Amino acid sequence: MVIDTFKKETKELWRDGRVRIAFIIVLLLTAIATFISTKHYQSINEQYLEANTTEREIWDNQGEKNPHSAAHYGTYAFKPKYPLSLIDQGVDKYTGTSIFLEAHKRNEAQFVAASDQTGLARFGDLTPDFILLFIIPLLLILVAYNSITKEKERGTLTLLNSQGAIGWKIVLGKWLAIFLPIFILAFLLFILTGILLSSLPDFGVFSWSSLFTLFGTYMVYYAIFINLVLIISASVKKSGISLVLSLSVWILVCLVLPKVASNLAEYKYPYPTRQEFSENIAQDKKQGLDGHNPWSKAAKELEENTLKEYGVDSLSQLPFNYDAYRMQKGEEHEAEIYFKHYNYLKTQYGNQSSIYQKLAAISPYLPTRFLSMAIAKTDYNTHWDFSDAAENYRIESQKFLNDHFAKESKYGEWDFKADAEFWKKLPKFNYEPPSLSETIKTNTSSVVIMLIWLVGTFTLLFFTTKSL
Amino acid sequence: MILIDNLTKTYGDLTALDSLCLQVKEGEIYCLLGANGAGKTTTINLLLGFIKPTSGSAFINDINVVEQPKLTKNYLAYIPENLMLYPSLTAVENLDYFSGIANKKFNKEELEAFLTEAGLQTSAFHKSVSKYSKGMRQKVGIAIALAKDAKVLLLDEPTSGLDPKASNEFGQLLQKLRQKGVATLMATHDLFRAKEVATTIGVMKDGQLKHQWSVDELSLKELEDSYLETMSYNSL
Repeated sequence: MVIDTFKKETKELWRDGRVRIAFIIVLLLTAIATFISTKHYQSINEQYLEANTTEREIWDNQGEKNPHSAAHYGTYAFKPKYPLSLIDQGVDKYTGTSIFLEAHKRNEAQFVAASDQTGLARFGDLTPDFILLFIIPLLLILVAYNSITKEKERGTLTLLNSQGAIGWKIVLGKWLAIFLPIFILAFLLFILTGILLSSLPDFGVFSWSSLFTLFGTYMVYYAIFINLVLIISASVKKSGISLVLSLSVWILVCLVLPKVASNLAEYKYPYPTRQEFSENIAQDKKQGLDGHNPWSKAAKELEENTLKEYGVDSLSQLPFNYDAYRMQKGEEHEAEIYFKHYNYLKTQYGNQSSIYQKLAAISPYLPTRFLSMAIAKTDYNTHWDFSDAAENYRIESQKFLNDHFAKESKYGEWDFKADAEFWKKLPKFNYEPPSLSETIKTNTSSVVIMLIWLVGTFTLLFFTTKSL
Repeated sequence: MILIDNLTKTYGDLTALDSLCLQVKEGEIYCLLGANGAGKTTTINLLLGFIKPTSGSAFINDINVVEQPKLTKNYLAYIPENLMLYPSLTAVENLDYFSGIANKKFNKEELEAFLTEAGLQTSAFHKSVSKYSKGMRQKVGIAIALAKDAKVLLLDEPTSGLDPKASNEFGQLLQKLRQKGVATLMATHDLFRAKEVATTIGVMKDGQLKHQWSVDELSLKELEDSYLETMSYNSL
């Protein structure tokens, strides 16, 4: 009965010009979006590799220079473009691609792609994630909204019942006929993307397991959507009503609830303004040690403690360059201030995320979006992880430079210069993003919520269609 | 084959069917006549298990319809007033699907043979049924019954709207099924067709079976007079 219905539905769908045209349009859109994203990814990746290499060459070849001057001269930590960002660009467009690493200061990521775009960017980009998250559910509605209502309207349901049809088996056949074309369409898109990415010479951290996990996430999302539309179609008598209700669910699930979640999270756990954030940091900095100011109260205390610790009377008697030592202590103090304030931002972000996670229970779009971005490594968690890694690298770099300055020179020797080969000894910044298993672990709640949605809607569909 | 025993269906204060008793044996065609709302369709819906009776019982092939509605459907076929098929499918595809639902599997030749037996012209077998006339769709309905090897056929106004030729062909098909031993219960307004095809005729009014005759007991004129008398009495 299931297979018979599946075959019959497939024939009907295929012969329905409406559905055929819609599939062709979605296929074309998907192909265009994938092509554009591939070009974009290749271009960004080339820029990343070039910038990374060039910047390191500049660092390595800066010649003889005072280490602290080099610290101020700074360098960049470039955020890699991850292969699956080709499918889901996530928040990459808004988070910036590189962080300038310099002495005394933690900088935010810059070169935000969205800031380079015109006002037309407000219309959104044609990206695979847009098609996967918004357009394909619409296609599902178009295909499924009258799946059961048309049987009622035509009267074929009566004939089916007289033949001994079992409601849930008929619906399962219909479900498969709706799901399979979408499965094939998405599978082709993902396989094509996988082949494209694995054939690139610099495909980096691309893994087929991540790609298939992403694919699985979208399949669960579509299964939930099909269930919702079929529940509606089974519960009402008219196709028109079913279409309106299904579209209302789409608007609510994909557009309204994510905005509500965002506004609620921002209202309940607001971020400080940029001005407040900078002022708070500046205020804390003032109260502590400034490596460049030997006359401050904190600097004097450090001086006294250091002399006492080494049992000497003057700074010139110390076995290292005290200026560099103070500079390093200043760095450590400033790093703590940055840690405190960025940690507050992270706490707020965590609180906002927990609101999102809770609201994900009322919209399957939210957990899908979170998982998709996380697996593609284009979510805020990955950005925070990169930002923290860059900050750790900055702190280690400053220590590396200040220590060299302190060990290799004497107090007051501000004209000390490290030799030209020294810079190459600074380890390269190498960011390892969270692994797939770590990502899944971090997003366990999204996985659980999606599974609850899946099981819940299947159960409801079963009971709704048990006796049609 | 069909046994209805004191079957009653009420909707609040309204009695749609009132202690109906009738029997249709193997190879019999029982035509139920009556005005709209007399209870004919309710009777058929009860036999199909689409609605539950308030009291009484009904049996198809000795199986209680209320207790085992799914099982009884293995033995019956149903043709409504307007048999609706899947318009984008052909007659063969429709027959294949509906047979599949009844767990009957046939190859293409066998399906075509059922359609031929039902009187559908060969040229129409592989055409979309969207362009079929009502008579052609009813023939596909008969083919579905043939393919299912149904022991009981339930018909609800099957000749309504058919032209005389198609109606006559339909009557002949029923006779063919009768010869195969199928027990047929047909709700109809068509006295002429009822007299022509039925073995037994019953007249319903207000959910009750008012009269029942063997078709040989009275002429068409007598049937018409009795029917009108019952109806006019009904309207008083």
